[in-house]
Formats: sequence, structure tokens, C-alpha cells
Amino acid sequence: MTRYRIADDVAWVSEVELDGGETPTAYLTRLPKGPPILLEGSGCVVWLALADGGTLDELVGATAAMSGTSVEEIRDDVETLVDQLVIIGVARED
Amino acid sequence: MDEHGEGRAAPIAARVHLAHAVVQKLADDHGVDLLHLKGPAVLPGLRAEGRQSSDVDVLVRPSHLSRLVDALESVGFEQRTDFSTGSVFAHAANWWHDDWGWVDVHTSWPGVTIEAEAAYGVLARTRVLREIAHRACPVPDHTSQRLVLVLHSARSGGTSDVDHAWVGATPDEQDAVRRLAAELGAEVALAAGIGELELHRRDPSYLLWRYFSEGGTRLDEWRARLAAAPTIRAKAELLRAATRVNRDHLGMELGRTPTQGEVRRRQRLRVRRAVAEVSGRAARSATRRWRRS
Repeated sequence: MTRYRIADDVAWVSEVELDGGETPTAYLTRLPKGPPILLEGSGCVVWLALADGGTLDELVGATAAMSGTSVEEIRDDVETLVDQLVIIGVARED
Repeated sequence: MDEHGEGRAAPIAARVHLAHAVVQKLADDHGVDLLHLKGPAVLPGLRAEGRQSSDVDVLVRPSHLSRLVDALESVGFEQRTDFSTGSVFAHAANWWHDDWGWVDVHTSWPGVTIEAEAAYGVLARTRVLREIAHRACPVPDHTSQRLVLVLHSARSGGTSDVDHAWVGATPDEQDAVRRLAAELGAEVALAAGIGELELHRRDPSYLLWRYFSEGGTRLDEWRARLAAAPTIRAKAELLRAATRVNRDHLGMELGRTPTQGEVRRRQRLRVRRAVAEVSGRAARSATRRWRRS
């Protein structure tokens, strides 16, 4: 079963750590060349789920729990976003 | 982003966190020893919550400076000030990156008077790792950070950092800071930061630290810097610098490289200001004499 996690060469920080605004936001970058990438709202929630790592089902489940939605509602969107994060190199499959 | 604006993708706080991580990655990849200072590198309890930095400060092992400079410039950082024009202490230079903003590279810390390579060794000896942007970054330990913050406060005319870094420390912690300051030759600067400067009236750097604590005119500053310069050669270099326009700072002010004409005009302005200061002093002195007579 494929597991997903944040890539080793990524730095990131979220609004929670910055004592920031109400909208979940994560700022991330590949080191050392960047560029900075912004993930807002549900994108940030997926990222925070990814920080713990897991299979796609686990990421979908964690995202649904954090955002108060159902697994069925968000599965496709989470899968698409995780694929994109892997393609740009900030997430990886193990 | 330009040098006067916000980040195009991230607010300053996020940018600074990520920039620390970028610099650490460069240091790891190029075998550079450095310590992260201030901002997100400050350990819990040493600074008021919510304080934000607008730039990244790092202290590099001086013998590793050229490696760090190559590494920074390899990813698009551009040097904007050099070590001779960066500050009174010639201790730091600045690099700019359109995504990451300012990085201040220090080879020594104002107030520390022992040789810079040895000073780095002392501060790095007890370093600890702190996560910044989820990356392990070496930072000075609590005692060293207390000293760094108090010295920075002394250099900056007093800041609230002293409340947390010094006033909030226990007597044992304060003793540890005093011992570290003694090892680094930073007793006078520490004294300036904690209100004990008058105990060092005979020290050559006394006037300089008093200037930083209480402020004064440019003339006061140069008088203090001359008094603190340890050798004739150092004094001569200071006098040369005093009459030279800082092209780096003028460039930053204008947002571009200054022309020869702009440098000359600024030079004339500096001379006029100096004349005004000297005239002002002469007038005040004459008034005092007249009142006494």
C-alpha cells in the first residue's frame, strides 16, 4: 500500500505556528531554491494530514475529520491535491 | 517582492521562518558552521510572545564566510551591504532575495571583543537545535541567547528584550551570563545593556556604549568610536570612513546604484551637517561661557 509523506527537502510553517489568522494556511518550499508555495483552506488541512504521513485512505480520513466533512465528499479532491503535491516534489510516495 | 514591500506569496513571519530553513540547508550542503539568532531562533521564554522579526540573522564561523557567501549567491541572494559599511562594528553584511527577503550575516556580535573565530567557538560550544519551519537549526543555548539579546539591546538604545533575557532571569542565570560575557570580553557591552555602564567609565569603549544607550549627535558617535578604536591604524581608518559616503546605504535609500553626482551631493550634505553640528556646539559653549561671566 502506497504511503505519502512530506518530502525530505521541504520546509514549512503554518498559521497555527505563526499565531496567524483564522483561515488555515501553510507556507512551504523546497530547499534551498524555493519558490514559496501557499496552501490555504482545505489545501492546508490536507498538508497537515500529510505531515503525519499515511495511505491515501488515512489522509482522506484525517482531512475529513479535521474539516468536519465526509470522506465521500472530499476523497477525489484530496487524491488530486496529493498527486499534485507529489508531482511538484513537496510530497513523496514510499 | 521588492526591498520595500511585502512578500508576494507569504507574510513576513512565514517568509522569515522559511528563509532560516533555506540558509540552514545551504549551510548543511556546503559544510558551513553557523548559528541562527533572534526572531524564530529565540528559545521559549526569552522574548515577549508575538514578537516578529523582519529578517534573518545568522552568525557564521568567520573562516566559513566565503563558503556561505558562495552558497547564498548560488540560489539568488544578492549582497547589498558589505562588512565595512554594514554597521559601526563592521560585523555584518546584508543579502537580499526576492522570495526570502533580507539575510544579515554576522561574523561577530557587537560588544564581543575577543577574536571572532574564538568567539564563534565559545557560542557554538553549547549550541542547541531548534526547529524552524520544521528544520533543525543550530541556535545558541539559553545563556548565550540571553547575552546576545542584551548586547543587541545595548547596541539598539535599549529594548524590551532585556526584560525577558535579563530581568526575568534568576540570579544563577544572570551569573552564567556574566561569566560568558567575561569569556567573550563583552563585560562593558553587557553592563551597558543592564544599566551598569558607569562601572566602566575608564574603559576605552565606555563613550561608545554610552552613545548607544543615550544617543547623541553624529559628532558624539565619531568621538566615541575614535576613543574605542584600539590602535592608531584603526583610528585612522575610522577617520577615513567618517568622511566617506556610504554608497551601500545610499543605494538602498534610492533603490538603485547611486550616480557619482548623487554621491557628491550626499558628501556635501554630510559636510554641511558636520559644520552645523560643530557650529551648534560652539554656539552652546559660547552661551554657557557668557552665562557664567
